[in-house]
Amino acid sequence: MQLSDRELVQRCQAGEMNAFQDLVSRYHQKVYMVILGLLRNREDALDVAQETFFRAYRKINSFQGDSSFYTWIYRIAVNMSIDAQRRQKRNPLDFRASMDGVLEAQHEVAKDPFGDVHDKELREKLVQAINGLTPEHKAVIVLRTIEGRSYKDIGEILGCSEGTVMSRLHYARKKLQGKLKAFL
Amino acid sequence: MTNCENIRDSIGRWLDGELSAGESEPVRAHVAACPECGEARRQLESLQRALRGVLLTEATPIEFMPFWREVQRRINQKRAWYEDFLDWAREVFTAPRIAWGVPAVIVLLLAAVSLDSYFPGTRFGGSRNSFASVESIDAHGRSVALLRENESKTTVIWLYQNEEGENETGEDSSKSGPTF
Repeated sequence: MQLSDRELVQRCQAGEMNAFQDLVSRYHQKVYMVILGLLRNREDALDVAQETFFRAYRKINSFQGDSSFYTWIYRIAVNMSIDAQRRQKRNPLDFRASMDGVLEAQHEVAKDPFGDVHDKELREKLVQAINGLTPEHKAVIVLRTIEGRSYKDIGEILGCSEGTVMSRLHYARKKLQGKLKAFL
Repeated sequence: MTNCENIRDSIGRWLDGELSAGESEPVRAHVAACPECGEARRQLESLQRALRGVLLTEATPIEFMPFWREVQRRINQKRAWYEDFLDWAREVFTAPRIAWGVPAVIVLLLAAVSLDSYFPGTRFGGSRNSFASVESIDAHGRSVALLRENESKTTVIWLYQNEEGENETGEDSSKSGPTF
């Protein structure tokens, strides 16, 4: 029988490392995808995802269960990604490495027969437009697009109201549409 | 704001399933009837497809065991005290807290410095200071001075002098401006 997240967290708080391993196996792919969507660099995303679970383990005793485990772990992941993006912006070398990662990703995606977007130019423009968003706007776009989370869930993850999520999404989409007008 | 503008602002929430049934129906009916709003819907759906295409397809699955071994290594690794301190500081000194905290600290410091004026016996900040302003009007005009006095000396920390008649005549003040 599969244990619920809450039961696994309780076992983890009691010191069972296997319970934490189960939680990591349950969420590592999703957390990695969200972080990759925000950072646009695979190596950085992998490092931040591993650091996210490490931080979660260290703070697991302070997890009270007020929110669900996925909301809590996503909150840690998004906050760490936003910090990492700010560091990328401050460090031009890191930013260049990030762009290299994006170009590499584009190359791989172009070979992906299951991708919805086939137009390479649109893809490049879209990646540039996403990179031009602020970390906060990028976060709502990524959580909505990849995870399909409700505005309420996104608000809980980002620590803001549903109204703020709604206005950030509206603004971010307008900005993306403005930059991609010729392609949509 | 026109009805079309209102509807276009709601299309995103409607497509995201964030509108109630009662709110959705007028949006659906308007978008079906209005070519411009229908085009706005088509563009937004096109953007969503493109976003999903970029964000979902580029994430290749990662193997769990290497991922878990690295998490485990970090958990078991002995950390230096300053790394723990930096982690703690990052959590405590977040940007919004700093934005509130810095002005709050400045206000508290100013309040503490001025405490001595209201409670002379407290000796807050070391020596006992008192502040006084002196205003005089004589043949040379109007002067205002802010003085700081302590047990051993008196210091003029700000002085304003205005020549006689300037305010009354309303003449160009740039010719005889205040001196400090």
